[in-house]
Amino acid sequence: MNQSISNPKKQLEPGTNPLFNWLNRHAGLVFILPSVIIVLALSIFPLIISAYLSLSRLKFVQGGLEIKFVGFANFRKLLLGSERKHFRGDLGVLSIWQWLFVALVVALLIYLLSRYIRSQEFKIGGLIYRIVVFSILSWGSYYLMQNLSSDGRPGTVVVTLIYVFVGLFFQYFIGLSLALITTQKLPGRRFFRTIFLLPMMITPVGIGYTFRMLTDTSKGPFKPILRAFGLEEYSWVSDPWGARWAVVIGDVWQWTPFVFIILLAAIEGLPNELFEAAHVDGANRWQIFWNITMPQIIPVSATIILIRMIEAFKIIDLPNVLTFGGPGTATESLTLQSFFNWRTLDVGGSAAIGYMLMFISLFIATSYANLIYQKLRRF
Amino acid sequence: MFKSRGFDKPSVFSQLMSYLVLLFWSFVVLFPIYWVFTTSLKLPFQVDSGPYYIPFIDYKPSLESWKYILVDLRVDTLRPFYNTVVVSVVSSVLALIIGATAAYGLTRFQYRPRLSGIFLFIALVAIIMLGSSFGVPWYLMLIVGIVLFFFLLGPLMKRFPKALGNNDIAFWLISQRILPPIVVVIPIYVMFQQLKLLDTQAALIITYMAVNLPIVVWLLRDYFVNIPLELEESARVDGASPYRVFWSIVLPLAVPGLVATFLFVLVFAWNEYLLALFLSKANAQTMPLLVAAQNNTRGPQWWYMSVYILIMIIPVIILAILLERYISRGLLVGAVKG
Amino acid sequence: MKKLLALLATLIMGAAFAQYDGVEINIVTFTGPQIAEPLQRHGAEFAAATGAKVNVITVPFSDLYQQILTDAATGTNSYDGYLFAPQWMVDYIVPGYLEDLTPRVEADSALDWEDVGPFFRDFSATYDGKIYTIPLDGDFQMVYYRTDVLDELGMEPPATWDDYLAIAAAADGKDMNGDGEADYGSCIGKARNNQGYWFITSIASAWIQSQGTSQGAFFDTETLEPLVKNAGFQKALEFYVASTEFGPPDELNLGVGDTRGLWTAGRCALTLDWGDIGTLAISEGSQVNGKTGAVILPGSTEVWNRETGALETCNDELCPYHVGGINHAPFAAFGGWSGAVNAAASDEKKDAVYALFSYMNQPAQSNADVTVGATGMNPYRTSQFENNQAWLDAGMSQEAADSYLGAIKDSLNSPNMVLDLRIPQNQRYQQIVLDTALAQLLAGEIDTEEAMEQIYDGWQEITDEIGRDDQLAAYRATLGVER
Repeated sequence: MNQSISNPKKQLEPGTNPLFNWLNRHAGLVFILPSVIIVLALSIFPLIISAYLSLSRLKFVQGGLEIKFVGFANFRKLLLGSERKHFRGDLGVLSIWQWLFVALVVALLIYLLSRYIRSQEFKIGGLIYRIVVFSILSWGSYYLMQNLSSDGRPGTVVVTLIYVFVGLFFQYFIGLSLALITTQKLPGRRFFRTIFLLPMMITPVGIGYTFRMLTDTSKGPFKPILRAFGLEEYSWVSDPWGARWAVVIGDVWQWTPFVFIILLAAIEGLPNELFEAAHVDGANRWQIFWNITMPQIIPVSATIILIRMIEAFKIIDLPNVLTFGGPGTATESLTLQSFFNWRTLDVGGSAAIGYMLMFISLFIATSYANLIYQKLRRF
Repeated sequence: MFKSRGFDKPSVFSQLMSYLVLLFWSFVVLFPIYWVFTTSLKLPFQVDSGPYYIPFIDYKPSLESWKYILVDLRVDTLRPFYNTVVVSVVSSVLALIIGATAAYGLTRFQYRPRLSGIFLFIALVAIIMLGSSFGVPWYLMLIVGIVLFFFLLGPLMKRFPKALGNNDIAFWLISQRILPPIVVVIPIYVMFQQLKLLDTQAALIITYMAVNLPIVVWLLRDYFVNIPLELEESARVDGASPYRVFWSIVLPLAVPGLVATFLFVLVFAWNEYLLALFLSKANAQTMPLLVAAQNNTRGPQWWYMSVYILIMIIPVIILAILLERYISRGLLVGAVKG
Repeated sequence: MKKLLALLATLIMGAAFAQYDGVEINIVTFTGPQIAEPLQRHGAEFAAATGAKVNVITVPFSDLYQQILTDAATGTNSYDGYLFAPQWMVDYIVPGYLEDLTPRVEADSALDWEDVGPFFRDFSATYDGKIYTIPLDGDFQMVYYRTDVLDELGMEPPATWDDYLAIAAAADGKDMNGDGEADYGSCIGKARNNQGYWFITSIASAWIQSQGTSQGAFFDTETLEPLVKNAGFQKALEFYVASTEFGPPDELNLGVGDTRGLWTAGRCALTLDWGDIGTLAISEGSQVNGKTGAVILPGSTEVWNRETGALETCNDELCPYHVGGINHAPFAAFGGWSGAVNAAASDEKKDAVYALFSYMNQPAQSNADVTVGATGMNPYRTSQFENNQAWLDAGMSQEAADSYLGAIKDSLNSPNMVLDLRIPQNQRYQQIVLDTALAQLLAGEIDTEEAMEQIYDGWQEITDEIGRDDQLAAYRATLGVER
């Protein structure tokens, strides 16, 4: 099933112990098997069992549990039934600008598709795959706009997507800026580096509570400032978009360090000669950044974005603690919705939401990995 | 140790601007932590009638909350703290060892698991499921199939009809992080209950190890690729087994990467809440549960909670300061092209 | 005095229960200091007296329900005793996880069971005629008002919810604690995933339940049709929205803990809460000691007639328990922390757990506990609100004690008390469907019509899922309705 590439020709001294011989011959397998087995046992099998749970309903009866198979009832409830508006959001009518946005997205996707057809990598399978992905993305942008239109309301799906992408945007932007600044020759930069790492070290639950203290308008630290602006009657956590921003700010506060430290390591690791050459050529700082640093760190960026995206889809602690998912359902993420259901032991409903989340994040992550990530890594 | 990337010394103006930005972000980072600190020195009524900013200046600080948690509760604080230390350290070390071997394997060996083999495996699983739950309607089996299909969709599209490669295995591993813990936690709960491991440190250690494994593999894979092959090859020529090469040549070279990765997964395990909530009941409770538990029918006990938060971050901060220089040297994630 | 009593009890018990030598019991409750603290304290006394080993296990409050249920359902049985909200007990009783305590209670003279409030004895602790829990705390909601603010305004304590709004409107924006800042007319913790769904029932019951506890305020006792789509519930929703106008700006994100903080800081004229406010008002740092008055939940002069479907003015036939033409329906929200015994535990553990709960419930212990705010325990024994002395000793003024205990007495003695929803999976009805709809209503995502529609449909859906007949039977059993 596998063979060593590092040294295929060299024969090891035949030992006397057949077990050693076998182990040496199959070293590749031995190296990877523990990880594969652990992942199978603790991720794949539970996943399959959960699939069954998402299709059933649990009832507590004399002597234990009764698992009743109900088909797609839990999913139907989410997508078409009573939880429809909660999950998918209230779908409104698009304004002219929103139509324009959808048209732009579709035009961009068609352009990308045409470029692919004319490119050398063109394959029929790749074309079909892209058509499927792009159709879903076009529909997704339409659906997003329906949620965001004036008579619509974002459901938990769209709220989660907002957290993921808005959060990611700010984390990357701030993390990159800080990394660039702290790699300059500035006295005391190591001190700042250590400080900037702090938020990542705090438990997310604790961060949720910390931000709740901070956003409190009646006894929080920003009360005098709000009063100075005549805003004592305003509470940002009672306003849907204010509350969502509060969650995003908390998320950015916590995870910017992650992006920052990895980008810092990447920039530190770039060979000095590149910069020396550019300097000799008389490039200014902006040109150096744009033409030398940036291309070099794009592959790293692609990886960070993938990792952060995957993690961000699971956001739960912050909205749960900061706003309890409120006001209304404004800040409720998918994991939180699933958790609420679990807490009342509606296990089937909870698993169904978890599965929907998994489908969505899997679709986005694999599309990103196949269509963008590979390209950026080769940049 | 650190080389400057700006090459030339920045101008005074740009230095000033840089410091302004750095100071601003330091304030953004430190103020919430400072607020937690002052809150830990307040009495309940001082919190409720606040805001008060600086101890001794606008309110009289009190060590009441610290005393309650460190002296009055003593064992009830110490035990979760001890659990947190044991669980996070042991699980991180295990994840590091197992993940490092896999990462090494993925960079030094060519794996070609054939699709037919994977499909056979899936078919087997399906048959087992079918057998164990006899009488289950066919569409259930279909769902199981679909789930696994979706899981392999990405890699399949690219590699079909040939065998899979190392990158696919790596992506498959990282894709485990996509699973929302809430989806797998119920079966894991039942599994540990069957094994009589519920509410033990072992259950949390095993779970955290599995959850953090993909991260370890990913961070270290890029690190191992950068380690030159020559040393290993000469050792192999001298007849050292792959295990010896890995243990005595590769690992020592990879110390910065190992340390940085260790710190990362340690922080994840240290702060994890959701899985701990499900898998621990009494004896194995960890610190994040204590933080969350301070929100009760009386409302959040801000003063106690602040103490817990501080108790939790102090050890990690010390560790981070001690290991700071490894962190930026040890994270070469994504540095390799292709 | 308290210590002496405890010591005395310990000695007496030592003689009575020395047989628990070497028995180790695990009792689960939520992470204190409230409830867990007295449990730990009395647990140690109990251990010293009987030789039993008592382990108190605490989990976050919001996870207690599912922790107990999953533990019992999977047969893990890590807990021998539960200290939880009796509201959840049906979910544990129906599958047979709780021990029937009736014989033990009947044989236990030290318990002085007759002294426990009739509501707690007959409804809270009982399901289908059997006793399953030992109450350690009396939970029902009341309205608290600032005596000084009302005096200044020349207004009487609220008797109806309309009065409540009028007072809130008049007081809103006044400075009530002398710090020069405008304070709030009404503070109700309306945050999602907190206590909102109890508050709405406290309010709605005034219009919906008028014929006594057995009438039920949640469902029709014949068809299990939800009582949430009618003129009475509409009134309550309108009140709930209207009162927000006089609350703190972030009221939608405040839990009951936050409003309690605001209350003791002197920032609210009115609040709706459990008995805790009474003891918190006399705790250290309180700005409202001696300024806190309590009344039974306000009522309504009109009630919803289930026959005609209209709001009608109270009369002797429609609301037999009216007081001066006003129908009051005090709500035993949550039900008060109670102890129960795991049916799967060994016999000697069951006995030990029962003995511990009994010990905590006995007047010697509980009469002292309920006067201390930090225990989180509120009065539930007749003797506790008929005897002022313990309260005066705890630092309450005569006037405040009269007002507080009077309100408790009025509520507890009311034959029209509302029992909390206790059918299987009630958490899904209340915590998911009702709570979400309320939060959406307050946030302006939906209007009152849509909210009622949403709650009604959601409840019907769950009922049909679980099985209407089973649910109906359970509902009738909790209300003591005979077939």
